[in-house]
Amino acid sequence: MTEVLAIATDTVEPATASRAERCEDYRLRAQFYRLLSGAFIEEPAAAYLSALRSPETLAALAELGVRFDADFLEPPITALEQALAHEYTMLFAASGGFPPVESVRRQGGYQQAACFEVREVYRRAGFQVVPGRFQVFEDQLGIELQFVAELLERCAAALDRGEHLEARRLEKEIKRFWALHLGRWIRGYGVLLEKVTEHSFYREMARLLRGFAEAELELLGVHVEDEDHGKLKVQRSELAGLVEQGASACGACRGTD
Amino acid sequence: MLKITRRTFLKASAGTSAAALAAPSMLRAMELELGGRDFSPEVAAERKAIPTGCHVCNIQDGAIAYVENGRVVKLEGNPEHVSTRGRLCAKGNAGMWYSYDPDRILYPLKRVGARGEGKWKRITWDEAIAEVSARLDEVLKGGEPNEIMLKWGRNRTGGVLERFMNTLGSATVLNHTSVCESSKKIGMEPTWGPDIETPDFANSKYILNFGSNILEAAYFHNPYSQRIAEGTVENQAKLVTFDVRLSNTAGRSDEWIPIFPGTDGAVALALGHVILMEDLQDTAFIETWTNVTVAELKEHYKPFTPVWASEISGVPVETIVRIAREFALTKPATTYTYRGPAKHLYGSYNEKACMMLPILTGNIETRGGYCLPRGMGYKQPEPVPPKPKTPSYLAHPDEYPLAGHKVSHLVPFWIAEGKQKIKVLFSYQDNPVYTNPGADAVWGKLYRDEKLIPYYVCLSPFMGEEAQLADLILPDVPYLERWEPESMPNSLWPWLGIRQPVIPPLGEGRETKVYIRDIIHKLDPDGSRGMRQYWEFKDPEEYMRKQFEGIPGLQEAGGLDWLKKHGVWPIYGKLDPRNGKMVDATGREIQPEYGLHKRTLSADDMLGATVDEHGIIHKNGKAIGVQRHGQNYVGFPTHNRLINVRVDEWAKYGFNPMPTFKRIPWHENLKDDEMILTTYKTNVHKQSRTAAVKWLAEIMHSNPAWLNPRTAKKLGVKTGDLVRVESPVGYMVTKAYVTEGIHPKTVAISTSCGHWGYGRLAQLKLREKAGEFGAADDPDLKNVWWDDKGVHPNAIIPVVADPIGGSQGWYDTVVKVTKAGPNDKYGDVQASWDKHMAFYKETMRYAYTGDLHRTMHPEMVAWAGPESVQHKAPSGGH
Repeated sequence: MTEVLAIATDTVEPATASRAERCEDYRLRAQFYRLLSGAFIEEPAAAYLSALRSPETLAALAELGVRFDADFLEPPITALEQALAHEYTMLFAASGGFPPVESVRRQGGYQQAACFEVREVYRRAGFQVVPGRFQVFEDQLGIELQFVAELLERCAAALDRGEHLEARRLEKEIKRFWALHLGRWIRGYGVLLEKVTEHSFYREMARLLRGFAEAELELLGVHVEDEDHGKLKVQRSELAGLVEQGASACGACRGTD
Repeated sequence: MLKITRRTFLKASAGTSAAALAAPSMLRAMELELGGRDFSPEVAAERKAIPTGCHVCNIQDGAIAYVENGRVVKLEGNPEHVSTRGRLCAKGNAGMWYSYDPDRILYPLKRVGARGEGKWKRITWDEAIAEVSARLDEVLKGGEPNEIMLKWGRNRTGGVLERFMNTLGSATVLNHTSVCESSKKIGMEPTWGPDIETPDFANSKYILNFGSNILEAAYFHNPYSQRIAEGTVENQAKLVTFDVRLSNTAGRSDEWIPIFPGTDGAVALALGHVILMEDLQDTAFIETWTNVTVAELKEHYKPFTPVWASEISGVPVETIVRIAREFALTKPATTYTYRGPAKHLYGSYNEKACMMLPILTGNIETRGGYCLPRGMGYKQPEPVPPKPKTPSYLAHPDEYPLAGHKVSHLVPFWIAEGKQKIKVLFSYQDNPVYTNPGADAVWGKLYRDEKLIPYYVCLSPFMGEEAQLADLILPDVPYLERWEPESMPNSLWPWLGIRQPVIPPLGEGRETKVYIRDIIHKLDPDGSRGMRQYWEFKDPEEYMRKQFEGIPGLQEAGGLDWLKKHGVWPIYGKLDPRNGKMVDATGREIQPEYGLHKRTLSADDMLGATVDEHGIIHKNGKAIGVQRHGQNYVGFPTHNRLINVRVDEWAKYGFNPMPTFKRIPWHENLKDDEMILTTYKTNVHKQSRTAAVKWLAEIMHSNPAWLNPRTAKKLGVKTGDLVRVESPVGYMVTKAYVTEGIHPKTVAISTSCGHWGYGRLAQLKLREKAGEFGAADDPDLKNVWWDDKGVHPNAIIPVVADPIGGSQGWYDTVVKVTKAGPNDKYGDVQASWDKHMAFYKETMRYAYTGDLHRTMHPEMVAWAGPESVQHKAPSGGH
């Protein structure tokens, strides 16, 4: 079992924090959501990767225990972008992978109830999902994370305006979203991703996702069982046959061509 | 005021019962409403009902999708559909799992590793279209458009794929028909015109079924099983089935007659012999509507005695004689055939022999008889691209001039031999790596070979065995997300229908006509190449609207808007909830029109027409009807408007033009330990594309080898034991299932199982280490209780081609079955390209140009040989 990232929860929102401090906390948390969203919403682009590899960001992440390997730190950005695009496809978009989509993880197929539930939540909050480089489902991990980030920004803005009731309402909305959606699948999913990926970028992002989720749930006081469980017990390199024709399960014509 | 005691009440009620029964009842239980509405069990709200056309298999049933909160939650039959009358089969009920399959491909995928290595990169549609267009452009600029090949498996696009290839100018279009039913088609078409029959089972008194599992899997099983049930139950029709295997149809028959594989034609000829020799034929029909006389037939059928057929088929002489008399003397009667007779070396002869029975007995186009198919057409949007200028060898090989539905299963060998060069391959809903003879050993080898297939684009939403070998996968969409026109001759009432999207395409799945349009626009952005003009439409709905414009009756009803609301046109009646039949406004069952060949020509039709000495009516250079007994009839849709018992075109190529039978040479003198391998389908799967559908996989997922107890005893095996099935091209190791329901000289193994592609459920990777990620938390997949995915037999089945119809001889393979050895493992399959190649060369010897053709046709001694026939111009250009 990999060590769960420890994110100190006492650094955010002490009961006696000033309004300005609370606003700052909301915005910092929103940043984390956005950072994580960028890893999952689609193949990471050069700008995102460059920012992530900046000394300041690496140092900040290192403090949380995030340590990338040479496969992330050393290649030229364009080569890294390509490598991660391939890895992204194999993990999340090709047949036999495990899409970061709540409907698939919890309900066994694309566009099941979770997708329509979060769409309705977004609609009520005044959001809609628009395509980026690719179309994404509403219950895709990156979108769900972005949604919470937006709510956190709104919390901060409400506090800025002195609208404490609105900020509390938005906090409740965030809690509800974790209780009904994110909290039900992303910790197990993080376990799974960490074990399956062959690239340190996704390994570390998976660890960060899991650690961040644990911290947020604790901070929010939400207790919900993760239904995903991330059951993988072997490395992907052992998964011969899923898409590998040469090692086909039928064994047809092996060595006879 | 009346004073009613219990005593007076009981006394009175005895006398009032008749009046009570006579009072009209206007209250019915809700469950007697046969479909059309559905409610959420949770909130009781009515679900949105959207009519569409089922396309899990190719019966094309009318369906209704119930959508709740944007999700398809249930599928059922469309009660307004005249053919399927509100019923869907198990496959149709499970269709939504195509859309929601977690292994579905939702984005264009580009290969990044070696071909078949399984490494992909997601790319945008713009990138994908640019790449495909550049490849096509290179070929087109080289001046050899036939180097672009498209092979489809199930094409119900309503002409879109044909338009694409015609736009490109390529004739290299391959289909799946030679592994499906082509020799049935070719057995029928030159004889009476259409490629299929529409028997009136519901009104028949006698149904003679040759090798068709019509109650569960054969063509039109849903509407036909309904009609057969009506015929056998309400009309007391007798159902007799000749089959090597006790299928569910055979099991439901009054008689199942096990028959040696490939000998249906011999039995059919012997039945004809008895009918003719005992003068039980319908002389008036034969003399009026065919191109032969009864005297000619009696002479021709003389050698086909029951004794002769019995020796070949194993069917007792007395059974043949009895069935012949029953069939001839019970009116009305019909036959039905499917792959049993047709999928053999000389399948076309077999089909023709079977078809002769309703012809001999005059059961053609009669109530309860063997009827012409009824279909309806739709249009192609204008302008329509012209056909390609240069023929393709692969599409129409010189050696098979009569095989109008192609011989696509031989294509890998022709490409390997250099008969035609291919630079770009498209496949569409076609998985020959699994479905064709040789499977991976043949098609897998072809698709992996980058010299033979330099660039392969797979148009599919699923990672099938073929898609795994592609260079680029374009994510097409499953049927619940498509617009397509539809019409099938699966009832005696013609109909037009549509498939319409009941949910928007998931992810970046795109409809075929949309991305093809985009490819063409990329190739011809300003229209200067003359291609773009054929692809000017805003969206698929607009394209479809053009297809239904100006159709008399439909136009007035509202055209596409009517179809969007009802799913089908016309609506002939209302479904009676008491019996599930279509009734008219008076409550009577609707009646079809019979005797289509007896429709008379109008005075306008006859204006300028001439009648020849045979009574054939000609006008503008073609036969438009036939004159009989002073009447001008339209006749049958053949070149001479008659039923051609004698097919003169066959004689031109040295084939027997009259009904005949050719025994498969390698089936003669089988050794004691040799058997025939046969394959089959069941009621919950089609060939390859249903193994990943959750509910269906649960019902049927493994395919043991059926062995007769006598055979099993000899081999020393019992149910569950491993057996090795060895053919001349390879072997497989599977489990035995010992049953009386199989001919002792036959081993039967179903298709649809044993996948090595198509996602984790089809491969049962859920039970292996690999399956422990991805969808492992699907509540349905948690319930996967089985650990056996079966073994696929196609790799050990060699190619055979009917020299007339081009069909694969699926049921011609001689195998040895033995108890598995210590080194044999369940699921082992080994096959060899070289051995398959040797069989390909052998089957070409039976083509009309081959050295065995004359040996097999001693009766055609007067034929002057292949050089006497004018060959088609060399095609393909290579």
